Amino acid sequence: MTLGKTATLAFLVILAVLLFSAMGALPETTDRMEAGGPTWHILRSAVPDTGAVNLVTAVLFDYRAFDTLGEATVIFTAVAGVVLVFAREAMVLSGKGLSPLAKKSMDILTPFIALLGFYVILFGHISPGGGFQGGVILASWAILVVLIYGIRTEEDVLTGFVKMFLESAGALLFVALGAVALIGGREFLSNLAAGFSPGDVGSVISAGSIPLLNVAIGLKVASGLAMMFVTMSKKDGDS
Amino acid sequence: MQAAYLAVIYLFCLGLYCVVTEKNLIKIAMGFVIMEAGVLLFLVCLASFPDGVPPIVLEGVTSSSMVDPIPHALSLTAIVIGAGTTGYMLSLIIRLYRQAGTVRIDRMGRTEQ
Repeated sequence: MTLGKTATLAFLVILAVLLFSAMGALPETTDRMEAGGPTWHILRSAVPDTGAVNLVTAVLFDYRAFDTLGEATVIFTAVAGVVLVFAREAMVLSGKGLSPLAKKSMDILTPFIALLGFYVILFGHISPGGGFQGGVILASWAILVVLIYGIRTEEDVLTGFVKMFLESAGALLFVALGAVALIGGREFLSNLAAGFSPGDVGSVISAGSIPLLNVAIGLKVASGLAMMFVTMSKKDGDS
Repeated sequence: MQAAYLAVIYLFCLGLYCVVTEKNLIKIAMGFVIMEAGVLLFLVCLASFPDGVPPIVLEGVTSSSMVDPIPHALSLTAIVIGAGTTGYMLSLIIRLYRQAGTVRIDRMGRTEQ
């Protein structure tokens, strides 16, 4: 063990002791939630405020919707960075794909993956899930196609232009839904206050703009992550 | 709850140890991901309490038995940002590997081709 590793270990032991004493001083979760703070308010009035029965989605797409727009921008920035890093790479065939057995299994799996992805996106406001989670499931479809069929087929099925279009459409749909509230003189991204119908609470068509925002985020995350993976799996043009 | 905090500290310190001492860039990226897992576990611990139920309003579930939804929303944000930074980190590593022919930072620059 070198001196550097010993010094690192000593530092980490001190850090661990400090962190543990700090965490021990944190208030108990139940005490914090009784205090009449934001959690107390959300647990009691989120359903009349937003119409969503999944309170995590209510926080994410109503109370903190503006923050979620920023989060979507982070994904966009990451994808833009990855594409920029590989900007000068030529598209070379990377692998001819796996055996016909794997390809046939993929054909059978495709509708189920799509169904699960869309279910998780569209039911995000009434059950666990939402645009981010469902988007990742849909992106996993594109990744599986690259792994099993090779990158050429993936580019044929879902060209770079389509992915770029879907990602931009997701971002613009999100901003447009937020801007609808501005017409009525409400705050950007306000939901029921801007006249979106709360619908029948607990059913699929409810919670005002939240399912639409979920679809926008789902499109964006799915196409963004797929674009990231496909860009990274391209081979070097020279070798 | 104390045991869960110990797991959080262990994961965070393990990741930090990886980041500081490893020479392989892929392992450094793994260290960052392990640190992130520790932070996410901390957020989940902050939200939960014994016998808490998921914060989804159903019949027969009282609001006082639900766990705190705010740290869950924050951890979702953290996961998304983690995925973005990990992807960018890996793409830079791929680029460096093609440039330098190695992913070990102590061997870079010595093996000029």
